Amino acid sequence: MSQPQSQPPLTGLKVLELSGLAPGPFCGFLLSSYGASVLRIDRPGPPSSDLLTSYKSSLPLDLKSPASHALLLSLVRKADVLIDPYRPGVLEKLGLDPATVLAKLNPRLITVRLTGFRRDGKYKDMAGHDINYLAVSGVLSMLGAKNTPPLPPGNVLADFAGGGHVAFTGVLLALIHRGVSGRGQVVEANMADGVNYLGTFPRVLTRAPMWNGPRGTNTLDGGAPYYGCYETKDSGRYMSVGALEPQFFKELLRGLGLQEADIVPERGMSREDKRSWEYMRAVFTARFKTKTREEWEEVFDGTDACCVPVLTWQDLEERDYEFRPIVGLTGSPGREVEMTYEGKLLKTGEGGEETLREWMGWRKGKEWDVGGKGAAELREKGKL
Amino acid sequence: MTSPPPLSNLHVLELAGLAPGPFCGFLLSSYGASVLRIDRPGSIASNDLLTSYKSSIALDLKSKASHSLLLSLVSKADVLIDPFRPGVLERLGLDPVTVLQKINPRLIVVRLTGFRRDGKYKDMAGHDINYLAVSGVLSMLGEKGRPPLPPGNVLADFAGGGHVACTGVLLALIHRGVSGKGQIVEVNMADGVNYLGTYPRLLLKHPMWNGERGTNTLDGGAPYYGCYECKDAGRYMSVGSLEPQFFEVLLKGLGLTEADIVPEKDMRREDKRSWEHMRLIFTARFKTRTREEWEKIFDGTDACCVPVLTFDDLEVRDYDFRPLVGLTESPAKEVDMKYHGRAIKPGDGAENALREWMGWQKGQEWDVSGKGAAELRGKSKL
Repeated sequence: MSQPQSQPPLTGLKVLELSGLAPGPFCGFLLSSYGASVLRIDRPGPPSSDLLTSYKSSLPLDLKSPASHALLLSLVRKADVLIDPYRPGVLEKLGLDPATVLAKLNPRLITVRLTGFRRDGKYKDMAGHDINYLAVSGVLSMLGAKNTPPLPPGNVLADFAGGGHVAFTGVLLALIHRGVSGRGQVVEANMADGVNYLGTFPRVLTRAPMWNGPRGTNTLDGGAPYYGCYETKDSGRYMSVGALEPQFFKELLRGLGLQEADIVPERGMSREDKRSWEYMRAVFTARFKTKTREEWEEVFDGTDACCVPVLTWQDLEERDYEFRPIVGLTGSPGREVEMTYEGKLLKTGEGGEETLREWMGWRKGKEWDVGGKGAAELREKGKL
Repeated sequence: MTSPPPLSNLHVLELAGLAPGPFCGFLLSSYGASVLRIDRPGSIASNDLLTSYKSSIALDLKSKASHSLLLSLVSKADVLIDPFRPGVLERLGLDPVTVLQKINPRLIVVRLTGFRRDGKYKDMAGHDINYLAVSGVLSMLGEKGRPPLPPGNVLADFAGGGHVACTGVLLALIHRGVSGKGQIVEVNMADGVNYLGTYPRLLLKHPMWNGERGTNTLDGGAPYYGCYECKDAGRYMSVGSLEPQFFEVLLKGLGLTEADIVPEKDMRREDKRSWEHMRLIFTARFKTRTREEWEKIFDGTDACCVPVLTFDDLEVRDYDFRPLVGLTESPAKEVDMKYHGRAIKPGDGAENALREWMGWQKGQEWDVSGKGAAELRGKSKL
């Protein structure tokens, strides 16, 4: 019998997300999915192409206009978190120095500053993307097939795993510290360090037999034939194999209808012997091609062969996959995943009015309004 | 002046496992928690290397006196990490609802599995590659025309596993601050990794990512988002020049013009028909200089072109390792393992840990049995 459920744990938390793409929005996306009220600060005009918009609202501001800037500072007084996705120095140039402006207005504010490169490193003023942050972190050098250039896993690892998610973790840690100290702080997340830390395990193994071979020749990076994917009879479909332990490998062989002797080029050779791998891979490749993916699923489902299908998003849609939040909190669950196979743009200003009422008790036309150029402004300082 | 790490005073019991569970404990310990790994008795260190700032105690959960010691620790703990398949914790007499929460309603039990604990694969063995496979994400990774290839075991075991479990613990701690109550946190790597892959998923019906694997802008298709080998074989530069202004700087550094890189006059570089040709040009051009020479050309520019560094390079460049995220007021403990891991033996640090947690002395409230398991003295035959 589980306890009755409470609201999401970040209910009541107010987050200002300075608009950006990918990592910053993903941090806001995680915060909103666990109950925070996330207000994205946009420029007036067409909506941002950002799709990580669930449960967020938008407010257009023109930070060069004093009345608009003053409105932001009023929000800062009430906010718990501000997400800064800019290169070092930009926030300061916008008149929003976290130490001399923001923390003075609100000592409880948590400013999370998210960059790609370290903000004090040699690349700090350079433009970059996920692949570049991965590159300087050491991790990219380990990824990709042997004898081809390194290949990142889309932009999942630096932008999201080592970026937005890490920024989110930083916010949670700062919230916990604030619970004890009463004070906010500046959280500094950079994707190079985030991804480097996530890659600790491979890094501490690169000098051990387990991972000291060239890229793509080791147990877990594409080298071992018992840790990889195989195309099935219906081309373009694959099964994944992860049969590391002897007892699981036995079940894999059983399901494939192979014997230990069939899979090594020399009698008595151990399957961990790298000299057997090319041969073993050829045998597995041929064997998997003899049945469709569905037939292999029937063979391996319910077994400990560590062999399951590689599902595409289309497969998930067909199988009516139920999307869930990143982590299940049985006592205080997150909000439902609301976007499945298509993203939703957040229009500039959408929901902003309601958020200002909720946060500040303000009414449009009273304490604030939208100026001629489409930016929200405080009324006292405005020329309205 | 900074404060202690934010999780100082947090007590974590980590039931020993490999990779994801230890990584969760590793993150918690690096932010100040006291993490006690529960091992089986034995003299050999486990393979787990994610051991920074942890101590270990050897317990035999089939022995009443040893099991009771664990339950005493549970009464003091804030977090218990369960890395086992569904049902195992219950079979060990540690049902989170009927046993653990009854002893300690403030306890946060984080249960980490690969597959969903209520899904069709819930009782099956698996590894990182398998959880990635059923999440939908693996289908997007790897070169065109070849089987999908995961990025080592970083994505499911660590990004979508251990780190997500840590996140769950932090959320539960925040909730506990308000409610006074702990809860069960359920993490599975398939959902963790699926969520991290939200962005590509939302683009799969969009021109940006609707092509087959390895043919899109960010997954290896675009020649201006990939790696190139330099004159010194085995060394590479990474290129990520998506925006026009950055692409211009890239071309300038490479000594190429827009006309050089497309097969037909005026063809745009976003036109996928230009990509094969462009990749050949870039491949040849990068081979004309060493990595160091390219670094000199591109450092300080907005070409989005930086070297692919190996861990050996990091060591040579005396890389300063930092924690996952920087907290300026309440920073993490220093990264204490760089290029080698450190195994800890069952029982390493147990005495100090029990003194710190419970105020106990070895030989008084507890001792070690003939079989090497720690036991409560009251219930033991010592």
